[in-house]
Amino acid sequence: MATIPDDIFFATITEINQKLKAKEFSVRELTKAFSDRLERLGPGYNALALSLRHQADKEARDVDGDIKRERFRGPLQGIPFGAKDLLAYAKQPTTWGARPYAGQVFDYTATPLTKLAKTGAILTGKLAMVELAGGPSYRFASASLTGPGLNPWDRTRWSGGSSSGSGIAVAAGLVTFALGSETSGSILTPSAFCGITGLRPTYGLVSRHGAMPLSWTLDKIGPMCRSAEDCGLVLHEIAGADSKDPATGGKSFYYAPQFSRDLKYVRVGFTPADFGDTAEPAARPDFAKALETIRSLGVQVTEVKLPEFPYGPIISTIISSEAASIFEPLIKSGKVDELADPKQIAGLKAGLEIPAADYLKAMRIRSLIQSAFSDLFDNIDVLLAPSRFGPAPKIWQPLDRPATDRPQPREPGLTALIPAGNLAGLPALSLPCGFADGMPIAIQLVGRPYTENTLLTIGRDFQARTDWHRRRPPLNTIANT
Amino acid sequence: MATLKLTRREIAAALSGSAVLLGQTPAPPVPQNPALSPDDELKAAREAIHQNSEQLAKFPLPMSTEPAVHFKT
Repeated sequence: MATIPDDIFFATITEINQKLKAKEFSVRELTKAFSDRLERLGPGYNALALSLRHQADKEARDVDGDIKRERFRGPLQGIPFGAKDLLAYAKQPTTWGARPYAGQVFDYTATPLTKLAKTGAILTGKLAMVELAGGPSYRFASASLTGPGLNPWDRTRWSGGSSSGSGIAVAAGLVTFALGSETSGSILTPSAFCGITGLRPTYGLVSRHGAMPLSWTLDKIGPMCRSAEDCGLVLHEIAGADSKDPATGGKSFYYAPQFSRDLKYVRVGFTPADFGDTAEPAARPDFAKALETIRSLGVQVTEVKLPEFPYGPIISTIISSEAASIFEPLIKSGKVDELADPKQIAGLKAGLEIPAADYLKAMRIRSLIQSAFSDLFDNIDVLLAPSRFGPAPKIWQPLDRPATDRPQPREPGLTALIPAGNLAGLPALSLPCGFADGMPIAIQLVGRPYTENTLLTIGRDFQARTDWHRRRPPLNTIANT
Repeated sequence: MATLKLTRREIAAALSGSAVLLGQTPAPPVPQNPALSPDDELKAAREAIHQNSEQLAKFPLPMSTEPAVHFKT
């Protein structure tokens, strides 16, 4: 029985794939090591929803057979991964992170998981999440069936949500990659707070069949990984049309950075204040360095202004209306009161009272937002901003109040880029770019629809010049769990 | 939504790998704001909806603008 070296828990997909092909260890050995680690350390971070050790072992045995016969299925073959517990996996509990659904079992598997199974990737566990992916809103990090997501860099801080377990598991080396979902910030935020690389795909690029709906017009499934390249490799496999998800646009994604546009022709727009006064003071030095590193890639950097819209009220109205409609049976049955977060309970109930005229007005303004971004992307190719403007908050901190007492920024800059980008259906890539108060911070790149390869090329080149994505949480933090 | 009916034995087997049995770190008690009862929470949520509505009302829209109901990028 080969021993799995510690470095493997923090290796990229390509690195592990090479070792599997070289038969340094078997897929079964690798899967067992990752399952052991996920079960041993995952609960200490409130990251684990369900271990799938037995199913994983069976699949690993099959993949070992393929590798023995030199039937190579691609870079994900034999790679252990986890999935946010909002994705159905047949005949196993899928809780959506919420007590009212704790015993829920589906008889089918979500399309992205089916696609990954075909590549030979090994699903070792379902990962914890904020209940109902955050619903309309929530006040506390503890809004989850499994408790607050504890950050591997400091367990007194939040992991971010709603893909909390996915962020934690990748950061702590419990899986090689994970699937998360984003309605408005749920991939980017935990990726930034946990120091991993996360990709929110263009709306409609990845099927959501088998995923819990929160907002039909906003939900996206995407990869959370160790590097931009890993995000590209995973997206390559999970993207594409699916007749079971009418929102899929019929487009595929081929990860091909070698054919990406020369970066000297790529125009990157940013707002200086985002990297200065708007950012939390402890984060400013590394944000400034990140901006310089982006410049050093040879891209054309230019100042830009976000189109002016009431993004917050628009996205809040849309999510609240759609979520209330989706969860109407839960609300009317009274089981909504079993949720952990009082703000989420009240938000779902009140969502049923939103006038149709308000929802339609929000969706009409949304059409204008799409047009405005289309115009903006005539002059630039990529928007650049901090993913979050400071590090993860303490787990007890209310999330619906500002993290600091600092006054609001004088100019909004790109502070609304997360709701704006989600409303316009744009892809985004979050890249670790340094530390503030000992916690990871990150930048985000946002492009026009279906330009994931451009974002990933910038991300790959940024990560070739930095090592933030290679940093690991301090060993004593993990050992003490 | 298609769900599956399982026997108690099957559910027990499925749950054997669940986080609950693996000793998840217990959630700290939710720090409740004593000023907010469930009724007050609901009142606050309704007020937030009302404020959103007011913000949306301030935004001028040409009559020809259609909603992004068949949303495609």
